[in-house]
Amino acid sequence: MTLVLRQSRKPERAPALRLPQFLMPAEAGLPALVVAAAVLFGGLPFLRLLLAAVAPGWQLAPAIAVEALTSRAAVAATLHTLDTSFFSALGALAIGTVTALALGVTDVRGKRPLAFGFVFSMMIAPQVAALAFLSLLAPNSQVLMLLGLAPEPGTTNPLLGRGGIILVMALHHAPLVAITLWTGLRSIPHSLVEAAQMEGAGPATITARIVLPVLRPQLIAAGLIAFVAGVGNFGIPALLGLPVNYLTLPTLIYRRLSSFGPESLPEAAALALLVGMVAALGILAGMVVSRRRGGKVEIERPLEPYWRLGPARGLVTAALCLLLAVKLCLPFAALLSEALTPALGVPLTWHSLTFDKFAEVLFRQAVTIRAFWNSFWFAATAAALLSLGSIAFAYGLERRMGKLRRAAELVVELPYALPGVVLAIACILLFLRPLPGIGISLYGTPFIILFAYLARFLPLALKAPLAAMAQIEAHHEEAARLDGAGLWQMLRFIVAPILAPAAAVSALMVFLIAFNELTVSALLWSSGTETLGVVLFSLKEAGLAGEAAAIAISASAVILAAMLLLDLLGRRLPPNVLPWRI
Amino acid sequence: MQRKALGALTVAAGLLVATFGARAEGVEGKLVLYTSQPNTDAQQTIDAFKAKYPKVDISFVRDGTPRILAKLRAEFEAGAPQADVLLIADSVTMEGLKKEGRLEAYDKADVSAYPAGIHDPAKFWFATKLITTGIVYNTKATMQPKSWLDLTRPEAKNQIAMPSPLNSGAALIHTITLTSNLKDGWKYYEALKDNGTVAAGANGDILRQVATGEKLYGMIVDFMPIREKAKGAPVAFVFPVEGVSSVSEPVAVLKGTKNSAAAHAFIDFVLSKEGQEVALKQGYVPARPDVALPAGYPARDAIKLMPFDAAKALAESAAARKHFGSIFE
Repeated sequence: MTLVLRQSRKPERAPALRLPQFLMPAEAGLPALVVAAAVLFGGLPFLRLLLAAVAPGWQLAPAIAVEALTSRAAVAATLHTLDTSFFSALGALAIGTVTALALGVTDVRGKRPLAFGFVFSMMIAPQVAALAFLSLLAPNSQVLMLLGLAPEPGTTNPLLGRGGIILVMALHHAPLVAITLWTGLRSIPHSLVEAAQMEGAGPATITARIVLPVLRPQLIAAGLIAFVAGVGNFGIPALLGLPVNYLTLPTLIYRRLSSFGPESLPEAAALALLVGMVAALGILAGMVVSRRRGGKVEIERPLEPYWRLGPARGLVTAALCLLLAVKLCLPFAALLSEALTPALGVPLTWHSLTFDKFAEVLFRQAVTIRAFWNSFWFAATAAALLSLGSIAFAYGLERRMGKLRRAAELVVELPYALPGVVLAIACILLFLRPLPGIGISLYGTPFIILFAYLARFLPLALKAPLAAMAQIEAHHEEAARLDGAGLWQMLRFIVAPILAPAAAVSALMVFLIAFNELTVSALLWSSGTETLGVVLFSLKEAGLAGEAAAIAISASAVILAAMLLLDLLGRRLPPNVLPWRI
Repeated sequence: MQRKALGALTVAAGLLVATFGARAEGVEGKLVLYTSQPNTDAQQTIDAFKAKYPKVDISFVRDGTPRILAKLRAEFEAGAPQADVLLIADSVTMEGLKKEGRLEAYDKADVSAYPAGIHDPAKFWFATKLITTGIVYNTKATMQPKSWLDLTRPEAKNQIAMPSPLNSGAALIHTITLTSNLKDGWKYYEALKDNGTVAAGANGDILRQVATGEKLYGMIVDFMPIREKAKGAPVAFVFPVEGVSSVSEPVAVLKGTKNSAAAHAFIDFVLSKEGQEVALKQGYVPARPDVALPAGYPARDAIKLMPFDAAKALAESAAARKHFGSIFE
């Protein structure tokens, strides 16, 4: 028996051992790969844009770019972008941190369903969330009518403009923060808390003096995720800002492109560079703050809830439920009431109730079913590739890059910070012509969207593994190296198992966001590669809001089903892989 | 050997049919349509075409006219446009493409059933519908507007939404038409601004705002509120007394198409009585005079169109957008 087993194992092991010689010949192998990937996904689209900005049609004309950047509209949009993304990131940090702590360290009731609902609310696409909140507060809102709170016809929606953008964006990005913090909470050893308890410290003191300081890398990472997501967000300011001419940089670019067409490509490219700079500013600020990193800690026994709420338990539970109702249930009810009525503005009654919108999008429109599958495969493929890659990437960046690290991080960050429309145009410019060597054009194939997704979501996938990597002492790896382990073996047997939960969280986050993604695919799709976001936006824009709502609800149902399935499978997965299982 | 010879013969015969056979039978292959029609309408249009030409593998790409153009321009820049046929909102955009040499004339198109002047005289693009822009109001509104000037009255203060020509092709034509026909010209738009009008988004957004009651009045393309009203939405559409502006949703063949036979078949189809009846069923006013109007519209000759010159509009469009932007942004 043993003999047979060994024989069958041998051929498997051989290529694994050969791999390092091929791919990573020396110490420089991994950094070279990281740099190559950074250049491919971040640098190349960015340079192509730069070229289009300063030298449209290969002729140097930087005046257009300068004019675009100094125009009154660009300055105002920059201020608006900084303003909304900063305050929404603060809001997301506040909501997300409180929620993460309430669910992570206290004995609040119903943790699993609450966490589940919170994570689920993040998967609703930003434009859908914005639309849902708009419907919720409109004068014809069925939900508000039920509560007797509906405003008079002719009342401007209070969500339109700066306040609404900040509020909806903060609510929308709060789960991003919470997920990142949960990952961090898991890496805090319980012994820290026990030691403090022995000293007589109360739970509030422990949270303020021990847990939060230890969580600092995650807090900063989470704040950055929320800020950068805010800078690049298109759906929310498009729905809440454009109708009152409150423009952020992504919506300004969109408006320029959609109204003046490609003659404004150089201008749009210049503005895109500006967005990149704003995002880079946020990242640099984060670097300054996080220069003094918290001490690295060894995980023996992960953190357990230490805060007994006592009489306040019910109150905190109720507060969390209320948050979820405001964030998820009410907007959803508003969407549902739109999808179930025959036309916009018709009150929902038993008489007017119709499933015609659902029938139209799910059965009559061939494109919708195709879009479901397309989005699923794009998101799943990007998630799988990125989470695997992020392990090597995080290790390479954290341990092997030295001074190059910050530069590589910045380059990688670019496509996520750029508005999707502009990344899409960069991809069109890059890939429309047949690739040199193989003579095949990627344009019109699924691969152009996949490439854009990989470029766009790589920084998102990197956040959690990087934060986790920063907390791990190097002595495991040093021990492995002393034992003569190669780089590949080290990644496979030492780094990967430690980073697996963080990488799984990355995969999940990428999947959830890519599944409903709109702004990148809006320009890259072609007949046959439509994504859900494209179909949804297209319907909404054509005045078919009910049909759009029906798709949004169906898509959310699919995600809900996928999450429930994952939850069922969760028992067989390694612990801590699913973010809502706390 | 025999089988191969037979195969070759079949192919040759096929080619022969393709070259000399009747047009309907010989039309096959891939055809990509770029259109700004709403998805439901675009699907119905290509379904109807496919029923007649089952061998054509037609697919559509749908987006707003400005973004369809953005997509096309990017493809032009890289030297490989993907579309064979364009079916977009307005003739000004078509005129622009024609001037740049991006369109292909279709001389043999049968336009005998149409009045003179509705299509491009050089046969580069062909009008398919009549889409007018008028006033929509929420039925809970106190005033029922009859004239464009009613929107400047105090009852409508802060209650008006209109599409921006920066977002919509039809809205650009509307702005140019209105400013050159109303005696106040651009002063009318300044008065609208003073009356608290918000100009942003495309027609679908205006429909949403007025139907939900966030705004009570709006400027909008006709078919949206007329279709929605039929479904019970609390909106009504008005053709103002001064007249309405109009776009013609023109169709054209893109230069460099790899399948002119199918592209021509598509144009023949949308211009045919049968194709025009598809538009009628969708709730549009067909361009062809011998096809009836959908329910909810006045008689064809009761719709008063304000005069409009596509070539002149093209020359003015950039200035008009700038002027509009300077008032509303």
